[in-house]
Amino acid sequence: MTDLAGAGPRPHRVDGKPDAKDGNKPAEFVPGQPDMWAFVLFEALVFTSYFVVYMIFRTRSPELYLQSQAHLSLRIGVFETLVLLVSSWSMARCVQAARQGAYRSALTNALLTMFLGVVFLVAKVFEWTRLIRMGFGFSSNEFFSHYFFLTGIHFLHLLIGFVAVGVIVYQLRSPARRSQELVETGATYWHTVDFLWIVIFALLYVVR
Amino acid sequence: MSAPATEAVSPLEAPSGSPLHRIAWHWRHNPKRELWLAWWTIVAFYQLFFLVFFVLTRTQPPPSPGWDVARVVQWFHHHHYGLLIGFGIMFLITGMTAPSNALIAYSMRRMSVSPAFAYSYLVLYSLSAIPGMLLMCIALTVGAMRPDRDPELISWLYDFAFLSFVGTMGVFLIGSLVWMLAILLDRNRVLPKWFGYLNLCNALTEIVVSPAWIFKTGVFAWNGLIAWWIDMVVFGLYTGVFIFLLRRMIQREGFGTGPLPDLAPTKETDPSALAETAQ
Repeated sequence: MTDLAGAGPRPHRVDGKPDAKDGNKPAEFVPGQPDMWAFVLFEALVFTSYFVVYMIFRTRSPELYLQSQAHLSLRIGVFETLVLLVSSWSMARCVQAARQGAYRSALTNALLTMFLGVVFLVAKVFEWTRLIRMGFGFSSNEFFSHYFFLTGIHFLHLLIGFVAVGVIVYQLRSPARRSQELVETGATYWHTVDFLWIVIFALLYVVR
Repeated sequence: MSAPATEAVSPLEAPSGSPLHRIAWHWRHNPKRELWLAWWTIVAFYQLFFLVFFVLTRTQPPPSPGWDVARVVQWFHHHHYGLLIGFGIMFLITGMTAPSNALIAYSMRRMSVSPAFAYSYLVLYSLSAIPGMLLMCIALTVGAMRPDRDPELISWLYDFAFLSFVGTMGVFLIGSLVWMLAILLDRNRVLPKWFGYLNLCNALTEIVVSPAWIFKTGVFAWNGLIAWWIDMVVFGLYTGVFIFLLRRMIQREGFGTGPLPDLAPTKETDPSALAETAQ
């Protein structure tokens, strides 16, 4: 065990395709490991079921949800969304730079993504603290249970995202590694977490 | 695995003839018989697990956590024989989890990763039957065997049983992550990478159940839509998938050692090259 899966230089691939690093890689079905896309699909399904449950319970007591929703700060929500969107943009630039062999630029963008992720986490903790000080906790009412659950589980996904970006940074730092496949796999995970936030933001903060 | 590659065991020819004759031959000569025995133990265990928890004792899907004392006592009364027979079976077959965990640890020993992964998994999962099953079986059996005790105590046993069963998932969380990491780091492709990521999905559901400690009603209670139903669907899928993949692993097993031919030692993986670099 010396390396991350598939990260090290491989003599050849089993499927006979040339290695990702030789630049003549034929167009793949999806960027990164197809396995990560299976994860994306599965997580999207699990989150969809959470969203459906939220919507069903919302239609049961719309007044309570509307009143509780009014206590959320749309301004903080918009700020967090923008931060994550910019982080996705820097992640996309990282992938693009790595494809072109501009590894220094790719590394800078990966670190920028990480920084923006930290900004999001700090904003989130600030927002939670604000709500708890106002007297709204996990078990205050049904809306806040959903709110803290959805934002909490997303927070956890973002923490795992730091491991994904960490793998990207590890790959980019040494010329001995630099697996484009792993860079794109990590990026796929990050974009998924970003995408999930957009839906959570829309459902919790915007939809009235 | 740094042992030099050796010849894989050549499969023996299975004889033709009556089914009984063939079964007897497999019992005596099939080099994979121990692996198949472990695999069939998993299949049998989960069938019995389903029978006991979903049919005999009716403890799954779980009854309501919001019931008052009288309703809980009534529940014990209604399910008296189901609880005793069901958990009686469970006490007998708890040990069947061992071959299951052993086969999963075996999958990790076939990987190119450190044996520490398999050892960690074995130690973790040898504990898992206690919070995952036994505490509940014991508490509910005690409740069923002592119906004359104070209803408050019976109600306490009920809470203890279901909270220990649903709410204590740390062992499974870390266990899933250990298996995930082993699969993602493995270079022998023993199990597919997507299953590694599915382990992460399963690990996350172990966290989603935790609000069951706080809520007595609603979607986050121990019988709630999110804390139980969605998690159970994920766990059911995960279990079905890993049983299928372990079967495929045994079918592909060649008993050879060392790295796969296409993963011949490279500058990064060759032990002698690494040793030289270290000097």
